[in-house]
Amino acid sequence: MRFLIPLLLLAQPLSAQERVQLTGEVIDTWCYFSGVMGGPDSVVGSAHHTCALWCSAGGIPVGLLAPDGQVYMVLKMAGDATTNGGDTNLHVASHTLDVDGMLYRRDGLNYIVVETVTADQDIINATHEDFGVIPGFAIPEDEAAR
Amino acid sequence: MIRPLFLAALLAAPIAAQAQDFAAGSEAKTWNLYAEEPARFTARVTDPLCELTGDCAADCGAGSRQLVLIREADDAMIFPLKNKQPAFTGAVNELAPFCQQVIEVDGLMLNDPDIGAVNVYLVQRLKPEGGDWRNADQWTKDWAEANPNALRPDGEAKGPWFRRDPRIRSEIEAEGYLGLGLEVDGPFIADWF
Repeated sequence: MRFLIPLLLLAQPLSAQERVQLTGEVIDTWCYFSGVMGGPDSVVGSAHHTCALWCSAGGIPVGLLAPDGQVYMVLKMAGDATTNGGDTNLHVASHTLDVDGMLYRRDGLNYIVVETVTADQDIINATHEDFGVIPGFAIPEDEAAR
Repeated sequence: MIRPLFLAALLAAPIAAQAQDFAAGSEAKTWNLYAEEPARFTARVTDPLCELTGDCAADCGAGSRQLVLIREADDAMIFPLKNKQPAFTGAVNELAPFCQQVIEVDGLMLNDPDIGAVNVYLVQRLKPEGGDWRNADQWTKDWAEANPNALRPDGEAKGPWFRRDPRIRSEIEAEGYLGLGLEVDGPFIADWF
């Protein structure tokens, strides 16, 4: 028995994994989880797109927000592991994507390695119609004069 | 004999973690967030992609990948989303020099399971083993060094980084502030101000 336990532990994968196909919006996880800018509905989609660009370029992790409210922390996007401010994540900020990849769970968070983006629906969540822009200073005032 | 011991060890681990008061000794400043709790603890800095999948890179990705903290007290994986700066900046630049090292961190833990926020963290300061506390405010310094000539849309070389970042400017120039195209931006901006 004593020898079986180490063998069983060695036989475990690094972490349980599962192949998934899901649809989700690429979100800025800090604003979404913290509520620093407002409620969850206001920090997604077009209303929050400029802030999502800032946060993605600033190295805040992006997540995929599925229609059921589950958030998947992105560890690779279309095979690109440059998740600290990388171009791949920046280009799809606020986009709704259909993806195929591997799902991992640990300590209450979902993590996803996106192997393939099977469809990019662009930005379809027109939240600016309800919220304007979040934060309010996302668009500089001098844009009005241009 | 081994079976009762094994079970006892399994049962004892979560109890030990629950008993740990991670707020003790914290000097974290509040951000007045709904689910924030001060949290100071020691942890190993590592790459979650490597930790979860075995896809490892030298030096935890040398600043290119997201990083996590494996808390010593309970082996929990904590995801630092944010550094100290109120400037839309993450935590990787702060932690990357300490790949696979055990450091002490102080900041705010967020736990709001209703929206999926579990074990996510804002790091305000950190202390390497044998070193002194340092603020987690490296990000904007790194950006300034990498972008010495970045200008705002009006040509000014001053102001916050996110107004001057060339990649952000390029995205906005192509798709607008709403990301829906310049033809949508125009009427919206006219109405917004």
